[in-house]
Amino acid sequence: MFCLSELEDTVRVPPSDLNLPLEVAIKKALQKLFLDKVLSIGLCVAIYGIKSIEGGFVLPGDGAATYKVVFRIVVFRPFVGEVIAAKFKESDSNGLRLTLGFFEDVYVPAPLIPTPNRCEPDPYNRNQMRWVWKYGDDEFIIDDSCQNISYPPVPTERAEDAKPFAPMVVTGTIDDDGLGPVSWWEACAPISDDEA
Amino acid sequence: MKNIIVKANAGALTNFEVLDLLNSRGASKDTTRVIASETVSRSEYKVYDYLMETAASTQTRESVTKFSDKCKDFKLAKAEILNIINLRPSSDVELTPILEKPDEREIDIEGILALVQELLPPLPTVEAQKENEQEETENDEQS
Repeated sequence: MFCLSELEDTVRVPPSDLNLPLEVAIKKALQKLFLDKVLSIGLCVAIYGIKSIEGGFVLPGDGAATYKVVFRIVVFRPFVGEVIAAKFKESDSNGLRLTLGFFEDVYVPAPLIPTPNRCEPDPYNRNQMRWVWKYGDDEFIIDDSCQNISYPPVPTERAEDAKPFAPMVVTGTIDDDGLGPVSWWEACAPISDDEA
Repeated sequence: MKNIIVKANAGALTNFEVLDLLNSRGASKDTTRVIASETVSRSEYKVYDYLMETAASTQTRESVTKFSDKCKDFKLAKAEILNIINLRPSSDVELTPILEKPDEREIDIEGILALVQELLPPLPTVEAQKENEQEETENDEQS
């Protein structure tokens, strides 16, 4: 789910931070620049560490010091075929939407929900549709009782400027053994812990 | 702002390692968040909260290293070992989606599950999860 990436960048430390120890000031500037932002490699989650700092020149006309920094960051980037546990957030006629807390754009489009299924208006919540999986004679409701859903992400898309609200989207499927709400498979666990 | 990506993938991290990193920066579960927020930002806290509910929260560095060493005997791919550590499957049906073509490769599913039971601590309990839900004041996740 996470991996390390090494980056090199020119960082500008504002004059107000110049009284801090160098590493702290640079880390602060890096966090502001990268944390919670989507790069081409994924969503930057945390700064892992700084490898080297060079420079410290003050450019004419600018009060801030500029450093060339090589550092490593922790990036959230699920690979294709990875199984992830996420929480159900909402569903509509296009499919499900799951959230990971820090990342909310996980979509399971309708074709990737196990068939046969049907979508019906949710009796509890007027705006949402509810997906129901029909297996044999039983019907399983995909609901939001705070359970985890596992799914393998199909390629992640990073739309450049197409979707201003979702720079990074992870598409998953729950159409396989062991995938879907955890409660569906609990009954099958031979070695069962006492919880989900 | 020009930046150069030196190495896009300098190594995969298990959820446990990321959690360990956040822990070492001072993230913690209870209301001392306000004090620790000097070193840990809000968005990092969201990752922390997510990870605390997964198997990673009960793992130790030792158990994870031991587990991945032993996994080499089972001829698993690195990505599969990573997934198993992150998800801690406790049954056949949970393990199968993680593995790629298990039948063709003659994977010892029972053996792997036994190893998981033995080396990796169990998932955090449901009660603890429910407490988490109530503790959160800003519920972005729940609509």
